Amino acid sequence: MNGERTASLMQVLGLGTESDVPGYKTDERFGVMGESRHPDRWTKTTCGYCSVGCGMLLGVRGGRAVSVMGDPDHPVNRGRLCPKGLSEHHTIHADGRLTAPLMRREPGGAQIPVSWDEAVDTTVSEFGRILDEHGPESVAVLSTGQLVTEEFYALGKLVRLGFGLKHYDGNTTLCMASAVSGYKRSFGSDGPPGCYDDLAEADCVVLVGANIADNHPLLAPRVLENRDATVIVIDPRVTKTAGLADQHLAIRPRTDITLFNGILKILIEEGLVDREYVGAHTEGFDELVAHVGPYDLDRVAAECGVEADAVRHAALTIGRAERALVAWTMGVNHSVQGTETVTLLNTLCLVTGNVGRPGAAPLSITGQCNAMGTREAGFTASLPGYRAYDNDGDRADLAAIWNLPVDRIPAARGRAYPDIIDGVLDGTVKALWIIATNPPVSFPNRGRLERALSKLDLLVVQDGFSTPTTELADVVLPAAIWGEKDGTFTNSERRVSRVGKAVEPPGQARSDFDIFLAMAAALGQRDEIYPGWQGPEDAFDEWRRVSAGRLCDYSGMTWDRIEAVGGLQWPFPAGTPTSGDTPASGGTARLYTDGRYQTPSGRAKIWCISPEPISDAPNQHFPFMLNTGRTVEHWHTRTKTGRVDILEKLAPEAWVELNPADATRLGVHSGDKVRLVSRRGTVDDITVRVTSVVRPGEIFVPFHYDESCVNRLTLNEFDPISREPNYKQCAVRIEPRDNIGHQTLGVS
Amino acid sequence: MATTEEVTASAPVAFLGIASATPDTLLGQPELLPLDAGEQYRFGFAMDACIGCHSCEVACAEQNDTPIDVAWRRVGELEGGSFPTTRRFNLSMACNHCLEPTCLSGCPTNAYVKLDNGVVRHDADECIGCQYCIWNCPYEVPVFDQKRKIVSKCDMCLPRLEAGQEPACVGACPTHAITVEKVNVASWRADHAAADAPGMPPADISLSTTRISLPADMPPDTAAASDYRVDPEDPHWPLIGLTLLTQLSLGIVAATVATQLVGGPGEGTLAGGAAGGFIAGAVAMVASLLHLGRPTHAFKALRNLRTSWLSREVALFSAFSVASFAYAAVWRSAVRGGVPALGAAVGVVAVVLGVAGVYASGRIYLVPARPVWNSKRTLGAFFATALSIGPLVTLFCIERAQLDGGWIGVLLGASAAGTMVQLAVLAHLVSTVRRRHDRQHRGTATLLLDRFRGLFAARIALAVTGLALSAWALAVPVAGPAAAGRFGTSLVVLVLGEIIGRYLFYVTVVPYGMAANFFEKP
Repeated sequence: MNGERTASLMQVLGLGTESDVPGYKTDERFGVMGESRHPDRWTKTTCGYCSVGCGMLLGVRGGRAVSVMGDPDHPVNRGRLCPKGLSEHHTIHADGRLTAPLMRREPGGAQIPVSWDEAVDTTVSEFGRILDEHGPESVAVLSTGQLVTEEFYALGKLVRLGFGLKHYDGNTTLCMASAVSGYKRSFGSDGPPGCYDDLAEADCVVLVGANIADNHPLLAPRVLENRDATVIVIDPRVTKTAGLADQHLAIRPRTDITLFNGILKILIEEGLVDREYVGAHTEGFDELVAHVGPYDLDRVAAECGVEADAVRHAALTIGRAERALVAWTMGVNHSVQGTETVTLLNTLCLVTGNVGRPGAAPLSITGQCNAMGTREAGFTASLPGYRAYDNDGDRADLAAIWNLPVDRIPAARGRAYPDIIDGVLDGTVKALWIIATNPPVSFPNRGRLERALSKLDLLVVQDGFSTPTTELADVVLPAAIWGEKDGTFTNSERRVSRVGKAVEPPGQARSDFDIFLAMAAALGQRDEIYPGWQGPEDAFDEWRRVSAGRLCDYSGMTWDRIEAVGGLQWPFPAGTPTSGDTPASGGTARLYTDGRYQTPSGRAKIWCISPEPISDAPNQHFPFMLNTGRTVEHWHTRTKTGRVDILEKLAPEAWVELNPADATRLGVHSGDKVRLVSRRGTVDDITVRVTSVVRPGEIFVPFHYDESCVNRLTLNEFDPISREPNYKQCAVRIEPRDNIGHQTLGVS
Repeated sequence: MATTEEVTASAPVAFLGIASATPDTLLGQPELLPLDAGEQYRFGFAMDACIGCHSCEVACAEQNDTPIDVAWRRVGELEGGSFPTTRRFNLSMACNHCLEPTCLSGCPTNAYVKLDNGVVRHDADECIGCQYCIWNCPYEVPVFDQKRKIVSKCDMCLPRLEAGQEPACVGACPTHAITVEKVNVASWRADHAAADAPGMPPADISLSTTRISLPADMPPDTAAASDYRVDPEDPHWPLIGLTLLTQLSLGIVAATVATQLVGGPGEGTLAGGAAGGFIAGAVAMVASLLHLGRPTHAFKALRNLRTSWLSREVALFSAFSVASFAYAAVWRSAVRGGVPALGAAVGVVAVVLGVAGVYASGRIYLVPARPVWNSKRTLGAFFATALSIGPLVTLFCIERAQLDGGWIGVLLGASAAGTMVQLAVLAHLVSTVRRRHDRQHRGTATLLLDRFRGLFAARIALAVTGLALSAWALAVPVAGPAAAGRFGTSLVVLVLGEIIGRYLFYVTVVPYGMAANFFEKP
């Protein structure tokens, strides 16, 4: 502060300007850079936000992360990054990092710094005590999609084999569980069949509930560059992505099933079904023909709220395309019918023969940087390596690899995330270990979630930052974050990329991997579940063996080979060449190229899906349909991006998008503050943005903001198959408040 | 995506391999093409290729280490049409490296240079932090850096350009919506329609060189997402002081000289007025220094007499100060037996310089970038201030014993005339901002007649009250100390009105600027 004042005085006196002008310095690799961003060395890594998996270089000077550059050689992003990636180094030295283990020594007491030994020993002994007193269902773990695969693999073993817990799930259930379930139902296994190059190679790109321009920005260029493709965007809102579209179907919320049934009917009637593919590689087509019979075009158009011609035009575009890519994200997944909708999109691709060819695939674009890693190596929805809990052969496999008796391998999945929360409320679950996720902001119906968390006997939270969740914790374990640890991430196209450690974690913070090792040691099981492990690369080597022969086969990969190529796509069995310029050099671009699926019959299954009504539909008391989502500047609950000044400046607060017709009726203007009320809670003083990107009667609020937490309003209703929440549709009302916003021009 | 086809095809790119967005060339090292005769570099922006990701903004801040509130590149949002055929667009803009840079022509210290390659460069060492460039630039590109106390702006990453590298924003854009291009200056001067876009001020003002390719079928109602808000500008208190005091000073000196010339009250009685005039001017000059980020470098403000009204203002007011000091000095010596005729000559010189100074001062505000200021009203208001309050101070400075009804009448009449001109200027302002429908006039109307309606009413009430008090003093002529009480009250009322009026002048102006995003000031 004193220095600043002196500097300021120097400026006023005219003595300081010259030396204070930011200087520039030349970097061997990137040329002229800001001097303050000029590093001593670059660490090759992969972005830690979304699942696009952009390659980057993290610049370090004097032990501090000072800059980020897109990796020009990385096949995913070719040197470009989104604003979150470009400012990611700021997260490492941001305020709010946890630097020492904290503990409440008595209930309701303050969190005080303790030693790692005390924190770990207390956690392990308390978990043990609660398990002894209340049985194996009483302790549960909620993890994340943010750790490296090596850590997910280690955590799964610790939770399921070490602690022997039944209930373990992650926040990945909040974002892509329906894609997993849908893939499993259609193809017999999880695993996105397509790749990003398909966006560029398709002649028809269908984006369903996927606002990639905001949420997966580095995929948007692929679509823009594909000038020959017709881009069809299906989204209730005129998103930034709708701006890329040649055809935008702004359907009413949750009418997607009706729409796709209608499109399938048109395809069948117009003879645009690939009968050869359907006959050779699928089962259930005849039932589908009968099922879509009632979906007449006029009915579909009326229910979806779009023009009949537009639906027909889209159907014919898809049907006549040589190579159609159907990609989706949370608009599909965040629904009580998410799994079913995914199977319907798979069906659309199957009946048009758009699987396993360049430019042709049903592609789930995942959310988090390593949601894929926990799907593959974790121990939640599946056993590691996409193995099934109820398959004795799969369990025997793992027992053999791990030298464990087969009865140590769990035979059933535990509760999914929402059912763990229900378990807390009904008293089954007494203790929770939450790792790198922030449920108060991200889980639906916050009031109910907070009631659950307050009922716990013990809450252990492991995170890099102080968050609304760590504030509730009895034990806080400070973790290293991205940039401070080594491992691998898998992106949405099954590409495994290296994550590099550039700097040491602050204070006493430790990598999640080391925390798991310490827990295992305290349990007395380190040698058994982590035999000979010293670092994450040891876990990777074991994981390669576990994955060998599976769909997600890593056995041919090593950290060095991954780093050399800039990411390898699984399956990548031992012996796969990586040198040369062949398509195989980066691994396997597409799955199911031979039309053989992972089902017992080898055929993909076609499902007949019918739409169900929205349970919390608008009525006279709650007349608006609320849709929630994201914005490009922020990541999840802003625990990181909320601490990056430039991102906060661009999107400093939440807002509610309101159609001009509704705004006029309510007498509110852009910049006004309103209160939002649902049957479950309220959001006070949220800023109105009057905009025609939403339909009259529908509103949109981003979910990133703890301060205006839209998940106080959302519905705790879940997909019965995937257990994914229905974040996207619920009824709310808007209560205008006094105009305390900016002076407005009185126009929208 | 069929709609982007034409965008990059037609761009005269300055970097080989930059704008052709094919995967093959992205990996290659782009090469900066040299300029041919008569060419300069400029930015190109393909609006339909921009996805609004803001990467350019972050890359710019990282490259140039700009503080958080100093953005050299900004991305605005635009929207048009109605659901479901709504269209949304983005406008990523930095400095437009204009052919006629108004930042440069207005800068009193010549801190701006138009380089041979077209880049408008700002030299931090020469900047005194007067912020006049911010008013002059229709795009509000220069930003005042609170910490460094000077302004700064985009230089097209000159250090990179000189090394043959593309600017950081260009290198960061995932969709290659931002390019650097070569442009022939003469042909762009003849036709620069491609610099115009919704959310942008008219390119005519400064001949922006940024080529914006607009998407097909933009809805005619396309407007900035930031248009809803109108924020009061900074009141610039030192400038309120500077302008009011210089005008007061001129008014006092002019009234004193005029009184002397027409053979006013006896010798010696005008010494107070002359001294008062000088003191007001001197205080004004000191006050103006407080406005500068680097007051000790104020002398540099004289460097651009050729094109900067700010330089001229400083020069003329400095000369006026000297002349009004001399005039006051003459009166001091006159008391001890000096020569009144010489005093009158010096006084006339001071008045001429003062009038020129107030005129230059007014011209500072006549900038196209701020349409409500850019009117003869501004000059009218400044001279009206001088006339409204100056004669009353002169009157106040005349020794009470010397006051007679005649002199009171003349000076009060002059003041009343000034006040009436001031009210006429305000009436014209109100009718203009009500009549005009552009954002700038509408914004001023909102601020003046809604947000600050109480202050505006007070401002008018004070002028009218002052006028009424003057009329009363005229209608019921009294001499001596009793009269002083009346016009003294009138003076206080009128000065208060002028202070409020000048405050409103600064805070209610709405600059052009460029479309901003929803939460940012345009």
